[in-house]
Amino acid sequence: MNPVAGLGLLMRMALRSLWSHKVKSLIVGSLMAFGTTLVVTGTALLDSIQSAMSRSIIHSLAGHLQVYSSEAKDELSIYGGGMMSGNEVGQITDFSKVKQVISAVPNVKAVVPMGIQLANMSRGSDLDRAFTQLREAQRQGDSTVAPRVIPRIQRLLGLLESELVNREAVSSPEVKKTVADQLADVRRVMKPAFWAEFEAAPMTALDFLDTRIAPLGGEGRLMYLRYVGTDLDSFSNNFDRFQLVEGEMVPKGARGLLINQRFAESRLKLTAARLLDDLEEGRQQGVSISGTPDLESKARRLGTLAGSITILLEPKDAKALEAELAEFIRPVGPPTNDGKTQVFDDLKTGTRFTVNRKTSPDPDAYDANLDRLLTAFLTMDDTTLAWRYTFFYDALGKRVDLYPFETGDVVTIRSFTKRGYIKAVNVKVWGKFVFKGLERSELSGAANLLDLMTFRDLYGQMTDAQREELTAIQAEVGAQDVARENAEDLFFGGDDDTEEAETETTGFSEFAGVDLKRQRRATVDERRFDQAELDEGMAINAAILLEDASTLAATQAAVQKAVDDAGLKLRVIDHERASGLIGQLAMLIRGILYVAIFIIFAVALVIINNSMVMATLERVREIGTLRAIGAQKRFVMAMFMFETLTLGLLTGGLGAAIGAGIITLINRIGIPATNDIMVFAFSGPRLRPDFTADHIVLAVGIIMVVTLLATYYPARIATRIQPIEAMRGAD
Amino acid sequence: MLGVIALRNLRQGGKRTYLLGIALALVTGLLVTLMSLSNGINDSLVRAATTLAAGHINIAGFYKSTPKESAPIVTEMAPIKAIAEKNTPGLTRIIDRHRGWAKAISETGSMFAGLYGIDVAEETALFESLQVASESDYQDDGRADVRGDPRRLSEPNSVVLFAAQARRLGVTLGDRITLRTETLRGMSNTVDVEIVAVMQNLGMMSSWNLLLPKQTILDLYGLDPNSTGAIMLYLDDIEQSPVVMETLRTAFDEAGYTVMDHDPRPFFSKFEVVSGQDWTGQQLDLTTWDDEVSFMSWILTAIDSVSFLLVLVLAVIIAIGIMNAMWIAVRERTREVGTLRAIGMSRGRVLAMFMLEATVLGFIATTVGATLSVILVLSLEAAAIEIPVNAIRAILMSDTLHFVVSPTQIATAVIGFTLFAALAAVWPAVRAARLPPITAIQRTE
Repeated sequence: MNPVAGLGLLMRMALRSLWSHKVKSLIVGSLMAFGTTLVVTGTALLDSIQSAMSRSIIHSLAGHLQVYSSEAKDELSIYGGGMMSGNEVGQITDFSKVKQVISAVPNVKAVVPMGIQLANMSRGSDLDRAFTQLREAQRQGDSTVAPRVIPRIQRLLGLLESELVNREAVSSPEVKKTVADQLADVRRVMKPAFWAEFEAAPMTALDFLDTRIAPLGGEGRLMYLRYVGTDLDSFSNNFDRFQLVEGEMVPKGARGLLINQRFAESRLKLTAARLLDDLEEGRQQGVSISGTPDLESKARRLGTLAGSITILLEPKDAKALEAELAEFIRPVGPPTNDGKTQVFDDLKTGTRFTVNRKTSPDPDAYDANLDRLLTAFLTMDDTTLAWRYTFFYDALGKRVDLYPFETGDVVTIRSFTKRGYIKAVNVKVWGKFVFKGLERSELSGAANLLDLMTFRDLYGQMTDAQREELTAIQAEVGAQDVARENAEDLFFGGDDDTEEAETETTGFSEFAGVDLKRQRRATVDERRFDQAELDEGMAINAAILLEDASTLAATQAAVQKAVDDAGLKLRVIDHERASGLIGQLAMLIRGILYVAIFIIFAVALVIINNSMVMATLERVREIGTLRAIGAQKRFVMAMFMFETLTLGLLTGGLGAAIGAGIITLINRIGIPATNDIMVFAFSGPRLRPDFTADHIVLAVGIIMVVTLLATYYPARIATRIQPIEAMRGAD
Repeated sequence: MLGVIALRNLRQGGKRTYLLGIALALVTGLLVTLMSLSNGINDSLVRAATTLAAGHINIAGFYKSTPKESAPIVTEMAPIKAIAEKNTPGLTRIIDRHRGWAKAISETGSMFAGLYGIDVAEETALFESLQVASESDYQDDGRADVRGDPRRLSEPNSVVLFAAQARRLGVTLGDRITLRTETLRGMSNTVDVEIVAVMQNLGMMSSWNLLLPKQTILDLYGLDPNSTGAIMLYLDDIEQSPVVMETLRTAFDEAGYTVMDHDPRPFFSKFEVVSGQDWTGQQLDLTTWDDEVSFMSWILTAIDSVSFLLVLVLAVIIAIGIMNAMWIAVRERTREVGTLRAIGMSRGRVLAMFMLEATVLGFIATTVGATLSVILVLSLEAAAIEIPVNAIRAILMSDTLHFVVSPTQIATAVIGFTLFAALAAVWPAVRAARLPPITAIQRTE
């Protein structure tokens, strides 16, 4: 028999017997098809997520590889994986050496220095600014300023007074005494007598304001700021997801901060505006407020925020706004229920609505009427949302600052060094940026960008001179090992030339701003730096971008070898590892999928094997006859295997087609990302998974192996059947 | 009688029965193991939550001196405690703790940590569920016989750490660490505290909490001694927590307190919302223990859904296997069925015979599977295997693999699978019952 004819015969026999054992074929076949579908969909989905996530991670922050000190206590985690613990990932003392060594490795496109830190940011207190205005005006002899500024100061003092009263209530006896003194000072300034004194002797009064009152204003509103200190120029050139959307790029060699637009929108923006944006976004997506718990609660919160807006308005703007609001919102009758309930007409939409508030505004307050109108305005439902959204930005946007600072402003960043000393630096905000495709991800939105020089100032970086001095001290005293943190004490513990403030007080800041040593306001550091200065300093870690990402593992090994050979104590990790808990989670999910597939196939193998054994026993006569007419054992084995192979190919193909169909379908619809981690993992608002030939080949391959394994044992049984058994009649 | 026939037939089925039985046992075992794991995580969660983070019910709240700032403080604790005591049915214990947040700094390291100010005399249950660690648990060359005494927290300016924290800070018993509060106004207060004990880890939650005497927190923040962080109530039946919480809410409302709307999240997630609200002064916030750990509950949901999906897929596969096996059994025994029918056995009895066969197989296999997996789970639990990967530790909320076996769940699994096996046999059994006696006997295949 020639091989081709033999194959043809086997094929015909396989098809015939598959057909004649329909039930068995159906059962085994459906299992195989099912398994293949599962493998194709599962692996395709997971690979799509993984590649989407890699895109997110690689091109926004992590690069393909990351290097950091091998002496680090913790693993590097770009997105902050250490829960609430401060990550201790060591530092790269001289980045230029690292850059030089790694750049020489083939396939490395760029090495970008980085340092990630969490700090406070503020724009100074409102009182402070008002006092400065007053002093300036006094110096220039401008008499128009005081009448404008003093009412504002009075209002701010009113707030400060109630704040201090509130603090006093929860303070320990000794703190209470201090607060009482402060309260006396504030009340003194609130009296007309003080301003009469101001008329008479402005400088003495201003001194009192500056030394006794201004410190009580604290630092104004403080916000947490997470930033990546980096070579901004190199960063923007190498991370292609980076896109400037407002302002300008920090000029080469200048210091500056770039704010992530997502951070600005979700953290910095005025709370009322933020809530309104969320409601409007819902409206545009066709989600109504009523019936959506999240939006309902946001609408409720929005209704309570009138006070937070009126406080920001200048008196004349307040009047103007009140008049504009009155055109569209009209009270139907006087307030009832102790002033807590009032009915209004919305003249724009012709609807009538009721406002219920927890507390009624002080009727004697000069802005009580505005407060009522604004509260009514902010009490929105699905009908009134549309015009009020527009009105809000038209009428309010021009009168209040929606953001605590704008592009071009200078902000104060304050960070804790490792030993807990506070360092403060003033830095200009040059612009806002987004990571394309990740605009909605809080996770990637949390990262702002800062120039590396400022980062080093805030981190408590030692200069070369300081380090040499330290070495000298060490040699002198023969100290074994001065930990970096202790070294920091040596240099930063005292009051040196960098801005430094350490305040030991006994009082919860929110409740007892006592004994404050005022922080000296630093001016913006205008000194330019060159590339060499930038490179020849410390960094915490560095991102490595590759020319060709497909050889990532090989390049990782090459880079590790290069740094080891150069004697640099560095650890090289890939982007998945560097992304911390999130990356580990992805690995975990993949692990679970593989284990699940393994278990499923193990059970399927048992079941298929079982069915095949049954089928074989049914075919004793047929096989016996074949053997009797001269078929060899090898032929019987081949016949069985071929049969399974045919079935596997047919049903595996079918299953793969179904799997591919499912993925295509999902691709059409897209899986919506419902929470932040999903936006990040999907690298956008929707996941559109794709499959490749690899997934199909893998799935069909696995199924073939499983079925061949499952067939081997029944086929062995079949080969043992003796011709004689075929003739033994019935069974 | 039918039972005996079923057993005999199963034994005659030979390999077919065994393989099917093994598959069924495997799947049951898998389900039981996964369920025990899920229970174990739940158990770790409840334990960590109710000893470390929360009472069964918490009366906490926020105090705002300005609309934009909020502190997790309850002022004038005494009358609140009195109202709680009066209105809580089944109250077994009432304690209060102060809350804080600081950077802990040692000679060689630093970390952020949540602070709990406690009164050792009150905390009878806390130190029953926490275990003192030996120095060797957190230092590579530590001494096994060096153990602290958490009761020394009654001394001023003392602190109790967890092993993971001691390792990170590189400290041991008797060392002093500095706590520095990082506050919003660019100020800070510090206090030096002495480590009087190091406790064994209690999953992820222990990695960010320190225990201090109440007075230390009061000093650190300059707070009125009548204030506290949270009043924690323990009930004789934890299941009653949501109901009792509602009772208390009404009681506080009536007593004239402002109670925040129920928000099922831990207190540290609420700062942002509270700071955005337009009020000052005190508001109370009532939560149950699971609210305070709600940020972990997705883990349980995830594990349960994965288990469910996996077991569902496997059940489908097994059903196909059972159908196949029964199908073949019916074909093999066509003559037998014909004979039985000819000598007067009713269709119903034939149906019952085949169904019973599958049921018996299902019952034996699932029981064996469940028993073996219980043994496996119990020995894994006894071995207390350490989990090497941090992410998994965080997810399982324990440093070792922890399982809890629930007899009712296992019984449900066994009964469920047995019924399932019986259901899978319905169709072949119906076919068998429908065979006319004469064709059945005539068939010689």
